[in-house]
Amino acid sequence: MSVPSPSTPQDQRTQETDRRTSRWIWAAFTACASAAVGLFFIPAFIIRPFRYQAPHALLLAMALRQRAPLGTLIAGLACLVFAFVLWRTIGLWRKALLAITLLAVTFSAVMARLNYFEWMFHPVAGAQFVAQAESKLDPKEMVMAVRFDSDARAYPISQMAYHHVLNDVVGGVPVAVTY
Amino acid sequence: MNGRVLHFYLAGINNQNFLMRDKETGTWWQQITGKAIYGPLQGATLELVLSDELTFGEWRTESPSGQVLAPVAKYTKEYDPNWEPDIAKLPVVISFPGTELKSRDVVIGLTIDGTARAYPWETFAKQSPVIDRVNGTPLLLVLGPDGKSFRVFISRIDGHDAEFFLQGDAAGDAKQWALLDTSTASQWNFQGCATSGPAQGKCLGRIPALKDYWFDWRNYHPDTTVYKR
Repeated sequence: MSVPSPSTPQDQRTQETDRRTSRWIWAAFTACASAAVGLFFIPAFIIRPFRYQAPHALLLAMALRQRAPLGTLIAGLACLVFAFVLWRTIGLWRKALLAITLLAVTFSAVMARLNYFEWMFHPVAGAQFVAQAESKLDPKEMVMAVRFDSDARAYPISQMAYHHVLNDVVGGVPVAVTY
Repeated sequence: MNGRVLHFYLAGINNQNFLMRDKETGTWWQQITGKAIYGPLQGATLELVLSDELTFGEWRTESPSGQVLAPVAKYTKEYDPNWEPDIAKLPVVISFPGTELKSRDVVIGLTIDGTARAYPWETFAKQSPVIDRVNGTPLLLVLGPDGKSFRVFISRIDGHDAEFFLQGDAAGDAKQWALLDTSTASQWNFQGCATSGPAQGKCLGRIPALKDYWFDWRNYHPDTTVYKR
């Protein structure tokens, strides 16, 4: 169908400009994708359990994680725009590369909004209490206990060692119970 | 914090002491210190509430109208009845070679006006009641009648330093358990209150103390001293 036409110097110039533009868009896409993926994976990598956290690395992790929800969203949207522009001009392999990268970016943007630590250690949603006489707890079990005036509460350590954090109000005082 | 109620959630781990964030500001807090280490409230410290680590049995007799956190049915399988030995088996990521104790040694840690001291649990349990002085404050560390609960008191009666010892044959019998003080010869219970004798009705002041692993206590209290017999 297509008949190769002899290229004019004008055409060559246009092609050259196109290539240069496309290179810039690829660079921008790579930058956005790295930013989005880094915003999630760098803090996740630093704050791994059973690993040493150096003070400056921890600061970096918190700073990135703090900005990740908004940052991954902006970077992700920008990626999408660049990918859209590139899509029509590229071959199958590059399309696949774009698609995989976009998947990683989307994953990062979603994970930046989810607290995976709470998947391992679920929080207590709406803590329930029972009178001590009704508790089936073994008398030898350890509890953490607080008291404000006549309001006494016990938090079994076997439970707190799993949940780790509990928000409670005892005798009108808001407390965070941690183990 | 500043009249505002914050709600905390688990947000990560920092050398095996966890990080939490509050839903209201997103600030990051260190569990052991209650300090805001990053975010809008950075530099703030949560007020430490006096709390106890007791056996349920001991707490029950002291708090007849007390309430107990109910297990969450969905997660009861996750609760580890063997949490203490299981946690002790986990690897540590920071250690302090050359210090007096091993990383997973359990200590009672306390701070008086910025001066920290750690009491190795084994030494404490053998010697209890332990009389000590930190930064000029006379202390009394007591192992409960159940052999597991502990409390730390200011060892002072009416402004006078006091010494305490365990009543005669009480060591083996929880019902007979009582402390005697050498200045008034009154009997004191594990709550730190005199139940008979001249001091009856008086109670000792309390000091917050934390049962912790040595590596964690030492990490956050680099200047801590260690109690020696």
